[in-house]
Amino acid sequence: MTLGLLAQAGDGVAPIDTPGVAWSALSPILVLIGGAIVLLVVGALAPRRSRIGWHAMLTVAVAGGTIAAVVPLWDRVHDDGPYSAVASAVGVDGFSLFVTVVIAVAVAIAALLTDGYLRREGLEGPEPYVLMLLSAAGAVMMASANDLIVMFLGLEIMSIAVYVLAGLHLRRRRSGEAAVKYFVLGSFSSAFFLYGVALVYGATGSTNLVRIARFLAANTLADQGLLIAGFALLLVGFGFKVAAVPFHSWTPDVYQGSPSPIVAFMASGVKAGGFAGLLRVFVATFGTYRLDWQPVVYGIAVLSLVVGAVLAVVQTDVKRMLAYSSINHAGFILIGVQAATDEGVTAALFYLAAYTFMVAGAFGVVTVVGRRGDGHHHLDDYQGLARRQPLLALVFAIFLLAQAGVPLTSGFLAKFYVVEAAIEARSFWLALVAMVSAVVSAFLYLRIVLVMYAGAGDGADTDPAAGRPRLAVPAAAAIALVVAVAATIGIGLVPDPLTRTARDATPELVAASD
Amino acid sequence: MGQYLPILMLLVLAVVFAALSFFASRLLAPRRPTAAKSAPYECGIVPSREPPERFPVRFYLIAMIFIVFDIEIIFLYPYAVIHRELGGFGLVEMAVFVVAVFAAFVYLIANGALDWGPVKHLRRVDPRVSTSRTAATTVRRVGLEGREPETGEAA
Amino acid sequence: MLVSSGLVSSGLVSFVLGQVGRASSDVPLLTAAVVLPAVGAIATALVSRRRPESARMVATLFSVATGVVTVAVLVAFETGEADFQLVEKYTWIRDLDVAWHLGVDGISLFLVVMTGVLFPIAMFGGAPHHDAKSFYAWLLLLEAGCIGVFLALDLFLFFVMFEIVLVPMYFLISGWGYANRRYAAMKFFLYTMLGSAFMLVGLVATAVLHARGSGGDLTFNVLTIANDQGSIAPMTARWLFLSFAIAFAVKVPLFPVHTWLPDAHTEAPTAGSVILAGVMLKLGTYGFLRYGLFLFPEASAWFAPAMVTLGVIGIIYGAVVATMQRDLKRLVAYSSIAHLGFIALGTFAITTQGLQGSVIQMVNHGLSTGGLFLLVGMIYERRHTREIAQLKGLQASAPIMAGVFTLVMLSSIGLPGLNGFVGEFLILLGSFLTRRWWAVVAATGVILAALYLLWAYQRVFHGEPDEDNAGFAEMSFREGMVMAPLVALIVFLGVYPKPVLDRIEPSVAALVAHVEDGSDFVEPSVAEAGTDAREETFAEAEAAEEGSGGEGGEDGEGGEGG
Repeated sequence: MTLGLLAQAGDGVAPIDTPGVAWSALSPILVLIGGAIVLLVVGALAPRRSRIGWHAMLTVAVAGGTIAAVVPLWDRVHDDGPYSAVASAVGVDGFSLFVTVVIAVAVAIAALLTDGYLRREGLEGPEPYVLMLLSAAGAVMMASANDLIVMFLGLEIMSIAVYVLAGLHLRRRRSGEAAVKYFVLGSFSSAFFLYGVALVYGATGSTNLVRIARFLAANTLADQGLLIAGFALLLVGFGFKVAAVPFHSWTPDVYQGSPSPIVAFMASGVKAGGFAGLLRVFVATFGTYRLDWQPVVYGIAVLSLVVGAVLAVVQTDVKRMLAYSSINHAGFILIGVQAATDEGVTAALFYLAAYTFMVAGAFGVVTVVGRRGDGHHHLDDYQGLARRQPLLALVFAIFLLAQAGVPLTSGFLAKFYVVEAAIEARSFWLALVAMVSAVVSAFLYLRIVLVMYAGAGDGADTDPAAGRPRLAVPAAAAIALVVAVAATIGIGLVPDPLTRTARDATPELVAASD
Repeated sequence: MGQYLPILMLLVLAVVFAALSFFASRLLAPRRPTAAKSAPYECGIVPSREPPERFPVRFYLIAMIFIVFDIEIIFLYPYAVIHRELGGFGLVEMAVFVVAVFAAFVYLIANGALDWGPVKHLRRVDPRVSTSRTAATTVRRVGLEGREPETGEAA
Repeated sequence: MLVSSGLVSSGLVSFVLGQVGRASSDVPLLTAAVVLPAVGAIATALVSRRRPESARMVATLFSVATGVVTVAVLVAFETGEADFQLVEKYTWIRDLDVAWHLGVDGISLFLVVMTGVLFPIAMFGGAPHHDAKSFYAWLLLLEAGCIGVFLALDLFLFFVMFEIVLVPMYFLISGWGYANRRYAAMKFFLYTMLGSAFMLVGLVATAVLHARGSGGDLTFNVLTIANDQGSIAPMTARWLFLSFAIAFAVKVPLFPVHTWLPDAHTEAPTAGSVILAGVMLKLGTYGFLRYGLFLFPEASAWFAPAMVTLGVIGIIYGAVVATMQRDLKRLVAYSSIAHLGFIALGTFAITTQGLQGSVIQMVNHGLSTGGLFLLVGMIYERRHTREIAQLKGLQASAPIMAGVFTLVMLSSIGLPGLNGFVGEFLILLGSFLTRRWWAVVAATGVILAALYLLWAYQRVFHGEPDEDNAGFAEMSFREGMVMAPLVALIVFLGVYPKPVLDRIEPSVAALVAHVEDGSDFVEPSVAEAGTDAREETFAEAEAAEEGSGGEGGEDGEGGEGG
């Protein structure tokens, strides 16, 4: 694979030792970035508005290409075991590939939702898709990073693109506010992360996760202060990205202000990237020091569960509600992290995969209901939706009930696996807190459902929303919603394939053979 | 500690040099201020009022694009020095880098980032900014005001 | 009526039917019983919105077919066997060893049949006023969930079914209920889900700790876990039992967590109330039997005093509060709390008679309270009020309805000769053996039941009708047809419960033996239990058995005593 042939042309110079680049190992990232660049150039040269949404179609194709690129890698990992490439900077294991697919799916769904949104708002252009693809590339990089520096790069690529996406809607003041808020707080957290990387480097002498893990397994540190401080700072950085309490304060504002289809991506793809990094760094690398960080993650999980559920209840804006509920869901996934076992990782991955469909679908419906201007997100705007558009209401109800954890949906199994992982790790109380918080947040989901189905029994004359126009569901968004519903119900009924895949996808740190 | 000493020395030297020049000019330079001298310099036109605080965003855009290419050059120079040692790896790396920058450049051109005309030529319109205000109108207004006789009292 | 024909048949007829049942045992009857209504729900949902009549027809077809399947289960059921029968098992989630594992024994058999019978009746008796399609679709989904709970032999499957029933019921109450329906629906959902939250944790912990204790793989198979007592430490098992008990106590509901019930029952549409009272409350009591006594025998015996106390409090509290109600439907709702208290008492007496009584009382309560809700629904249809004070002298214009009401009410009170007596008598008898004073207090509950129901009856049906109630319409033929099977079953079970008790008895006896094995609890034998008074009761019972057939209640008990 090494393209070092040209180096021999130079006579008399000592060649610098350059790493071999296993292009195949990077292919998912390359497909994403390459797709983004192609889309950028072609999109700039072609007319901005077109009848067919080829921007979105191309984005979906790139996402599909990413998944296609994963397949041979998955086979190879399955047959020969995980390996790492580019001087141990990038790891290819079941874990990174699984998360890559999740992120690609999130991109595809978000792109389908974005198409109709941009047309409705008169904002057509390739930029949102390009940024989404780049952000996804960053998230994939985080998932497969075997080096803290690479992970930081991934984090920044992912985040900066999303900062811009948050401010996509030029005419909405809230959109700009969201972008600025997200940017300022996000860069703050990145700084924390970077400082954490520095401290961990100071304590262990390496930024490479393989070497750090080996070092920590082989040596006992006389003074752990530096390392523990590094843990704390890294946790702040990750905690911000996954919207865990107490690093969650940006979430409601940003989710509320950002364009709805972008939020679908934020809540699924970005969160998946954040959790992938968290699992990789803490569970896989710092596993030997789990007794030091587990209590902290435990506390963060409890806080996220409780705060997310309780604060969601008092909201009246549906987007804010879903934002808080996403904090609650982050708490659930953190339970899997806290367990720090293979079961925990499997549960977290299953949860991420299931949640991607649920939350992307939910924000898809929010996108449609938001109407022109993306401003109709109050609970009242959902009044009587079941009467006007029963199918849309049913779809939303399915997503909400799935998030509440009703059986025969993916949400139930996701919660089930997480609880199982917690109990395997003997965290009975955490499991209990989680389930009770699920009941509290069920109240919130039911509130929305109730509002949608309100007025069904009151007779036609009392319909408060009788005069409202029929909501247009763009074809692309309809496809996305159908896919999300099918996945939510399908995973709920036949979880075996996903479970088995998630079981195969535990992170393993392997040094490069070259 | 010894290995960092040169860096520290350089730092100290830089600070000392800056401070030295500053104070030297204060002490040594002759000082005969006039109104015209203390006015801000605007291409030889006598300013009639406070200079505008906001420049059209176009200026910043150009500056940013310039910086991007500046950085590209900064990367290209060292590469040029050791391209033999880096071999094929370096070539591919630079190609990737240049392609990325070039794609961005194409995008910029296509979106009219370097068009220097009225805004209507641009494809994206931000309605929060008045459409009547362009780089051209801004420049013209300043120029006309400078030539108006009743404001020439400063001269 | 199909049930009654299946039960009446004796000798040759039952033999023939048994052969038919055995022949059909190749057919996955139990899966059919669960899947058929679910398919029906989807089929109903696909019918055009503009044709409510065809939706109604499809739904009826499927619910009647399900009823027929449950009766076929009854026919195929082998009398005298304690074990699970007609067991079906298909792997569902491999790595958790979760299976679609269904089976029926004497305890669940009649609950399934009752569910199969009660749903078509509820559908006929509580037709919705709008949006018939969704109404029937939800109702059928509810039926699938309820039957699934009774048949599940897998913890995971059980929980799925236990939880899934919440969704249709939630939509039924919030969509087709009365004025305060949203509040009631939300309260119902959250209460039950909170209970389930505890159960889910307990359920997973049970499976995980069992796997750890036994050194085997993770499994959710109820039989495996229940028959492998000792893999979970007794102290832990008590905590686990508690987590299950909270869920069931909410569902039953037992005294401190019952407050959702009056609201939900009162605000639900008639069909919803019938199903809520008739079937869904039994999910809790059945849960106590299968996932309390069976799964955690030691813990159940340990917690028995507390549970029995809660049951008795429920009996007295429900009766007292029912007496004070001004709303007829609310009165019936509170009477449910009292009746369910009896069932809890019988269950945690842990005697063969008590358990037998509990199981049959679950069926009885479904029939009689379901019937009462249907009748209250009929009264509401005519008068658009349920206030007892506004109803007066209905007997004058609707004697047949008054007659039916009297019969169903007397069954609910527990008049000998009607089904309610059999259950209450067995429960009191069974609990007297182990919990004498509780049984004594509970017996006063029977008297209170007579008080509040007869008083309500008197106020509503007796006297001279005022002008509002003068035009009260008599029961229509359709309504009569809805009530007829219930009335027939009430009388039949009261007069001749032997076939039912025969099928229940082996499973219940095996359950008691299971509890004895798993704990230091010993079931007191009736003969050696002691005082003169009790011996007298026992002698009476035996005498009655020799008389055979007359007073049904003693009959079944006598079979046990001999």
